[in-house]
Amino acid sequence: MAIPVEMPKMSDTMVEGVLAAWLVDEGAKVSSGDVIAQVETDKATMDLEAYDDGVLLKKMVDAGGSVPIGGLIAVLGKEGEDIAAVLAKYGSGDGASASAAPAKAEAAVMLSAETLAAAAETPGDPTTLTLPADGGRVKASPLARSMAKEMGVDLSAVKGSGPEGRIVKRDVEAAQSAPAVAPAPVAAAPAPPRAATPSEGDEVRPNSSMRKAIARRLSESKFSAPHFYLTVDVDMEAASAFRGDLNVLAEKQGKAKVSFNDLITKACAVALRNHPYVNGSWSADAITLHQDVHVAIAVAMEDGLITPVVRHADRKGLAQIAEETRDLATRARDKKLAPDEFEGSTFTTSNLGMFGIAEFTSIINPPNVAILAIGAIRNVPVVKDGAVVPGKVMTLTLSCDHRVVDGAKGAAFLVDVQKYLEQPLTMLL
Amino acid sequence: MPELQLREALRAAMTEEMERDENVFLLGEEVAEYNGAYKVSEGMLAQFGPKRIIDTPISELGFSGVAIGAALKGLRPIVEFMTWNFAFVGIDQIISNAAKIRYMSGGQLKVPIVFRGANGSAGQLGATHSTSVESIYSVFPGLKVISVSNPDDAYGLLKSSIRDDDPVIFCESEVMFGLKGEVELGKDRLIPIGKARIGREGSDVTLVAWNKSYWTAMRAAEELAKEGISAEVIDPRTIRPLDIDAILGSVAKTNRLVIVDEANPFASVASEITYQVQERAFDRLDAPILRVTSQDIPAPYAKNLIEAYVPQVHEIVEACRSVSYVA
Repeated sequence: MAIPVEMPKMSDTMVEGVLAAWLVDEGAKVSSGDVIAQVETDKATMDLEAYDDGVLLKKMVDAGGSVPIGGLIAVLGKEGEDIAAVLAKYGSGDGASASAAPAKAEAAVMLSAETLAAAAETPGDPTTLTLPADGGRVKASPLARSMAKEMGVDLSAVKGSGPEGRIVKRDVEAAQSAPAVAPAPVAAAPAPPRAATPSEGDEVRPNSSMRKAIARRLSESKFSAPHFYLTVDVDMEAASAFRGDLNVLAEKQGKAKVSFNDLITKACAVALRNHPYVNGSWSADAITLHQDVHVAIAVAMEDGLITPVVRHADRKGLAQIAEETRDLATRARDKKLAPDEFEGSTFTTSNLGMFGIAEFTSIINPPNVAILAIGAIRNVPVVKDGAVVPGKVMTLTLSCDHRVVDGAKGAAFLVDVQKYLEQPLTMLL
Repeated sequence: MPELQLREALRAAMTEEMERDENVFLLGEEVAEYNGAYKVSEGMLAQFGPKRIIDTPISELGFSGVAIGAALKGLRPIVEFMTWNFAFVGIDQIISNAAKIRYMSGGQLKVPIVFRGANGSAGQLGATHSTSVESIYSVFPGLKVISVSNPDDAYGLLKSSIRDDDPVIFCESEVMFGLKGEVELGKDRLIPIGKARIGREGSDVTLVAWNKSYWTAMRAAEELAKEGISAEVIDPRTIRPLDIDAILGSVAKTNRLVIVDEANPFASVASEITYQVQERAFDRLDAPILRVTSQDIPAPYAKNLIEAYVPQVHEIVEACRSVSYVA
């Protein structure tokens, strides 16, 4: 069924928003999380994200028009779908007017709750309605809220099983035992606290949902997982030659060129098979050792980062890893990834080598228990057979969650990765 | 331990306290010559004589006032109301004098008195004879309110009430006077006022119920157990001062609360418990607090209607299912 997009409550004092600019045209496909418009509120101009996947069927307001909270801004759905029912629910064919009284806005919000409930009950409906449209309010029992806070569970990602979708105790417990991986940022520090009273001329940028997710998840990781770090230098001489040979073949066969990062992905994946704890996850009751190896790769975006996942990387050839990684990274930068493409990793790598960073430490990407920080390959003098010669050296730093991975376990894994990279043929065996 | 009827337990408590303290005496309608409308005071006239077991006219305002005067002069009266419905005629003495004199005299005067009688509905007695009064008297600071569900609690709490220096409202039940139960007898067997009792331990939902509704709640708990819902039943026994800590402790464990209260719902004891629990345990609640009360009408007379009027086992079961999010 067609899905209404309503004016959300973007600040506590907001009663209406001005649609400042449309970023998507009618007929265009949008995915959940896409910014489809910018809305000017009493406080700031903010991005309006779609909460659903679909086609933008109709814009209900032109740029510059104002809409009260809960008023209809646009209609999403499948191509060619009839939107009459949605329009009828909102009682007008031309969106909400600027003069709508607050009472009317409230009525619209209530209607939308019905609409959402109906949508949620329609079997086979491809849309997943995790965030109600009434200003992002999440319905949860007080207990569920306090449990979620304690456990670090993001309630906006939990589906409620109580009346009207209320999130209750059992839903939080279920979410905790099978943690959903939200857009999982890595190797970035949480946003510094904003000055309480910005001086004139300061630019105040409201946090995007991605920025909030980064702040929340990485704080949670760094504050709850006891991190320790292992560093090793890898001689990349052989890997460099190996990659050169591979890419001659790849070019001939019309396959994707293999990057150093792809080699590292493969080396980690093969090593993870032999080091199940590094491929595990932590919960208060038990450690889960994952059977499959899914390696996430941190990709920088304009406003943050995301970690698309190369699934079953241990079973894939280098060309396939190269092709998938390139595709995922491209679509990540365009914000075109589906949630299942950035969820469910068992291990993560983060590479800042392209910026010339020699070495760094990363924050573990929950629910992983380790992350590999990859530095640049540097041309440095090395000692070989008692002589100082030119060499190619890369520094790898593994961050480990001590609750699951002890020092010896982490070291054994990292040394395996080093061996695979220094003798690349061994990772193909 | 001996098994006593509720009426026998009440009688034992009064008799022992009268033997212990010559200032204690009983007055009320039919308590002496007739041996009590419900035979609670049977044989007491013979034992203590007419100076201490006193028949009164049908004049609740008058004999409540006489008793309060006696208490102010140092005696410790027990006033039996045939039922609490009739006490409405004497309520001015109770709330304007008994409840307030200690405060108004700056503590110079005290009113050690027990008002006791049958509370709530008892079948086809009509609208004017079916009132549950706990919430009415709980409104007034200065009164203690007790509502018992079984002979042992009745025995231990009545003795404590008689020895207490403040006026106590003591609620029994016509339909429970014949209820038998083991009673731990003892001259100084006092059950402290203001302490709840856990009637049944459970982990999934807390049921708070007192007086005869306690038994309705216990039957509901049995039904729920068959469905795999483990209900903890708490009998507060004392309504005021309320043992809120016992209720909070249970809610902290179960995260769910259903209160069974035979009174009409508005401004009931159930309302007050709901308020206190949400105030102090908001973050422990996984569901709204529900209550099962009598319907919000005067009690009907017809048999089928009075049965439907008071809290029912199936209503309690449904409320517990609802707060457990079980369809």
